[in-house]
Amino acid sequence: MKWKKVIGYILLAVLLLSAVFAAYIYKEYNRTHEDTAAIRPDYSLTAVSLLKEFEMDEPASNKKYWDKVILVDGMVKDLAKDDRGRYSIILGDTASMSSVRCSMDSIHNNEVATVKKGNRLAMKGICTGFNADEMLGSDVILVRCAVYSKK
Amino acid sequence: MKNLLLLVCATLIFTASSFSQKYFTKNGKVNFDATAPSSPEKIEGINRSVTCVVDAKTGNMQFAVLMKGFEFERALMEEHFNENYVESDKFPKAEFKGAIEGNEKVNYAREGTYTVKVKGKLTMHGETKDVETDGKLIIQGGKINATAEFIVPLSDFKVSIPGLVADKVSKTAKITVACALEPLKG
Repeated sequence: MKWKKVIGYILLAVLLLSAVFAAYIYKEYNRTHEDTAAIRPDYSLTAVSLLKEFEMDEPASNKKYWDKVILVDGMVKDLAKDDRGRYSIILGDTASMSSVRCSMDSIHNNEVATVKKGNRLAMKGICTGFNADEMLGSDVILVRCAVYSKK
Repeated sequence: MKNLLLLVCATLIFTASSFSQKYFTKNGKVNFDATAPSSPEKIEGINRSVTCVVDAKTGNMQFAVLMKGFEFERALMEEHFNENYVESDKFPKAEFKGAIEGNEKVNYAREGTYTVKVKGKLTMHGETKDVETDGKLIIQGGKINATAEFIVPLSDFKVSIPGLVADKVSKTAKITVACALEPLKG
């Protein structure tokens, strides 16, 4: 009978849609972060300029840069390594206490093993904000960083 | 001559007793763990860019952490943490301001391990609450490894956990602080 066929088709459509929906949910649930190295940067500027923007107007800079991929270029002031071997590259002007701190992504960590103080480096990372501190110097902090190019 | 000697001795004693060294790091680690006992997966974010300062003289201790810097393995979990739980756009920074109790028993000039109490005010998600916990200071090679674990009820900080994820997300968060502190110069 015709209506049996129609019901059959509807059920099939529902089943297919459910399968597509379930696959989407599964994919979304297990989604890992995109590799920063593969993402086109939202902004590209020097470490000194980035710091200046935050120092001038933190709320506006937060709105502009929070969660964005930033390509930042600067001189390596220092390197830090934590107890698990994860590097942080500190970029900026040695005359200033403020820096752009780049916490390396685990998959790109070894890219900076041979970096030295004084090198010029371009790093891509996700901006998590500005940690203002009068005593220690204020820093812009980037996470999941990858080296863009070494000059 | 005797007076000069007395003056020199007094100066030495004075400077020795006022050990005004501050120790700091900008690479401290904070683990934020809100895994419920019945959860099939870990609900944990790690922040590796924590700023921490300890004043050896007064025992004052402070740390500051940008909430957006907590990295979770699953992107969706990290987004929920930022958008729904801690609302990091509204409250971007968490801070602890307090002191080490029993600081006078800590000899910062000598290598050793000290168990201390850490007490102070924790500010997170726009709320400030008194917190207290045990901490450990390991002094070695002129540096200090400071660790402490805070158990905080999320409701104290007005972080609401939807009923849908109540079996995964705990009502209390375990906040573990681990900082390798170096002397602050100048």
